[in-house]
Amino acid sequence: MKLLKAIVRPNKVDEVKDALTRIGIAGMTVTEVRGHGKQKGHTAIYRGKEYNVSLLPKMQIEVVVNDSITDEAIKAIIQSARTGEIGDGRVFVLPVGETYKIRTGEKDSV
Amino acid sequence: MPLSFSIQLDEARRELKDDILRGHGGRAALARFSDRLDTIVRQLFAAAPQPPQPVAVVAIGGYGRRQLFLHSDIDLLVLFGGHLGSAEEDALRAILHPLWDLGLVVGHQVREIEEFGKLEVDNPEFLMALVDARLVAGDRGLYDRFESAFHHAGTHAHVVGALNALIDERYALFNATLYQLEPDVKESPGALRDLTATRWIGALTDPSLLRRGVEEPSKIEEAEDFLLRVRSILHLEGKRNQNQLTHQLQEKAADILGYPGAFPQQRVERLMSDYFRHARVVTRSLAWMRKTAPTPAGLNLGRTNDGIRFIDMRQAAVQPATWLAAFQAAIDNNCPVSDPALSLIRQYAERFRVEDFFPTPTHRAGLLHFLKPAAGLYARLSEMHDCGLLGRMFPPFQAITYRVVRDFFHKYTVDEHTLLTIRNLERLTTHAPPDRQRFSSLLRDLQQPELLVLSLLLHDVGKWRDDDHHVESVRMAREMFRRIGLTQEERDTVEFLIANHLAMSQVAFRRDTEDPEIVKKFAELFGVEERLKMLCLMTLADVEAVSTETLTPWRAELLWRLYVDTYNQLTMGYGDERIEANQPGHAELLANRPSDLSESDISNFLEGFPRRYLRLFDSEAIYRHVRLARDIHPDEVHLWMERKGEAWELTVVTLDKPFLFSNISGVLSSFGMDILRGHAMTSPNGLVLDVFVFTDSERFLELNASAKEQMFTVLNEVVSGKERVTDRLRGREHSLFNRRPMRVTPVVHADNTSSKRYTIIDIIADDELGLLYRISRVMSQNGCDVDLVLITTEGRRAIDVFHITKGGRKLSAAEQAELSAHLQRMLEGGYEAT
Repeated sequence: MKLLKAIVRPNKVDEVKDALTRIGIAGMTVTEVRGHGKQKGHTAIYRGKEYNVSLLPKMQIEVVVNDSITDEAIKAIIQSARTGEIGDGRVFVLPVGETYKIRTGEKDSV
Repeated sequence: MPLSFSIQLDEARRELKDDILRGHGGRAALARFSDRLDTIVRQLFAAAPQPPQPVAVVAIGGYGRRQLFLHSDIDLLVLFGGHLGSAEEDALRAILHPLWDLGLVVGHQVREIEEFGKLEVDNPEFLMALVDARLVAGDRGLYDRFESAFHHAGTHAHVVGALNALIDERYALFNATLYQLEPDVKESPGALRDLTATRWIGALTDPSLLRRGVEEPSKIEEAEDFLLRVRSILHLEGKRNQNQLTHQLQEKAADILGYPGAFPQQRVERLMSDYFRHARVVTRSLAWMRKTAPTPAGLNLGRTNDGIRFIDMRQAAVQPATWLAAFQAAIDNNCPVSDPALSLIRQYAERFRVEDFFPTPTHRAGLLHFLKPAAGLYARLSEMHDCGLLGRMFPPFQAITYRVVRDFFHKYTVDEHTLLTIRNLERLTTHAPPDRQRFSSLLRDLQQPELLVLSLLLHDVGKWRDDDHHVESVRMAREMFRRIGLTQEERDTVEFLIANHLAMSQVAFRRDTEDPEIVKKFAELFGVEERLKMLCLMTLADVEAVSTETLTPWRAELLWRLYVDTYNQLTMGYGDERIEANQPGHAELLANRPSDLSESDISNFLEGFPRRYLRLFDSEAIYRHVRLARDIHPDEVHLWMERKGEAWELTVVTLDKPFLFSNISGVLSSFGMDILRGHAMTSPNGLVLDVFVFTDSERFLELNASAKEQMFTVLNEVVSGKERVTDRLRGREHSLFNRRPMRVTPVVHADNTSSKRYTIIDIIADDELGLLYRISRVMSQNGCDVDLVLITTEGRRAIDVFHITKGGRKLSAAEQAELSAHLQRMLEGGYEAT
């Protein structure tokens, strides 16, 4: 099992969700986040005064997928979130040891 | 003649003395004496020369109350309909001199009616004396004008406030007790002044209180008559304006008033126990009145502990046009509208139509004033909604009362969601958290924030239908525009905001706002910054009213960034977008042109101006500009000036040359004009169009018939080089160069990336006379051409954006640095433009 953590542009969330749904991934967590990657934001000017916008608003999508569809899921995220410009985001892939359903306490089978 | 007056006066005094000695020197006798004086005054008035303007002789104070004692001052107000000249002074003398000759002490006040336009707050005794004013002789119409100028809530509230302060001061002099062994029957607690004060407070706040109260009206009248009879005796026995009931005079008074008892001491005790009994009635009445009386809060409105109420409920029930004033008064007084007032409105609201609430332009202006975002607006609108008034005033709003629309996000009914948007806006003015301060500053900048509130009120009324609610909302809102008398410009703004109320959240939250093309396209929606600011605030307030979770700091940040990028596009990128022949609006201008203008006149004029131009001006103004630009020659200026509300607007068309902008703004400053807003544009072929909106605080244009001509002549001479603007400004050097200490640290920012053609200089500084002149002069002295200028003033800050070039190109980094340094030095006061 893998945890895919994708940081994408806010306006790309719906497309990423649709792409994941199409390959059969239903459960996901979406969070509003702020941060920066290599681009380190930029300086904006408002009325002659500079203000730093180094932390850019992004969306974080987390999904847990079976190893068998991990590559497909990563591909789906990248294709749907990509614009080709700086600031498109990242996908992190983390191994997942075990998962439990809180309601029943039962351990998920892989 | 004087003889006959003194006979009349002697006779009147004898009559009064007889009454007093019989123990009857009370209300009726004093009124009779005062009537005798009236007769004398009327005879004097009839014999006096009549000045050309109306005159009124008005009895005020005790004389006005018809309580004139033997040795009272005669308080008179002589009122004139216009300025005092020698004819008026003659009339005044003919009335006053004979009264003085009769040995009367006349306390006279002379006023022109216009003086009652402003309250004499430093003269509370005079204001109180006016409460008892009564016309004795002269012009009834003039007297009525005085009455209506004096009797309104503002005056009433002030007089009651001053009166309360005076009562406290007076009580302090008597150690705040009525039980004085030798009381002053005029000034002591429980004496005549207290009685008058009780009546005044009632009359000025709620006359029905005079019929209620802790004491029976008959008991109060009995107390009054007693006090008057005693005071009459004091004047008679003391042979002067004597008001203290001394031990010695107590015996006299007890005898005259016929108190029984074998010994003087017994008679005096009976007199004094009556005195204290009556004085007690008076103090209790006054205390009750002070506690109960509402504070005057408007026509037929008062403020009590439970909020604003109608003084006369029956009158209020049939005057729906006065209802909004109750809610306005509640906002002004930071209190609710009282339950009885709300019940009355709930009971009667259904009988009236929209027009009944706003019958006159004044009422309609009152509505827009009411809608300005301020503390309490949400609470008052909620009260209005709750008692059914909001739906009667705004019929479209009725359609969404209790309306439920199910979606994933909304947590409240449509009507409450709508009112919450207004609460969110209101909170920006009262207690905005730190991360909302930037939005608060936008709200403060708005020229007509009430239009934003009106738009919010109507933005979702179309939701009674299930689809395309913004289109339906616009349709329904349009019905309201005429009924509340919006101008065309105001209608356009409100319609724009309602129609586009979803546009900004869609772009901010769903589109890639880092893409300059998306921002550019979004900016085209607005054309000008004011609407962008309004829509940004509307979006913020709307999103936040969906549920407590919808407006996360993350979303607020996205919204703010889109605002900043769009604002920068509108103010800095617009120079690159030139008008082209296929521009929307261009063809309409040609098709609808007036017969005196040819197609090429219009096309030639528009060519090369920024597209923003078409958004800033309506077709009428554009045709006027085309006419001004026709046949223009070097060194000529063609001018147009008109009044715009409180301000003036000057349009200048001319051909470009060095120092042009600083010369024009310098001329305006030399006439004392304070420039608030404006645009300056230059087309590539050198045609210049400058529009300035300025205020004339010295009222030069208003007070001088030839002012406009003078200004135009000077503009012509300065632009053509016949006169130097520096010479003209010398007279104002004091105010221009010896300036106040800085309030905001000046900001100068040079930008070479936002525009393809121009270097952009952003300047924020204290707004003061001559600022634009000094800035643009420094630019010209640095060899720069000022091509486009946006002038804005927000409160005391001037925000100016200059698009400049040097030798037809953007400035190099070194040139930018040098110019910025010069500007910064000038703004900080170290570098003088000469």
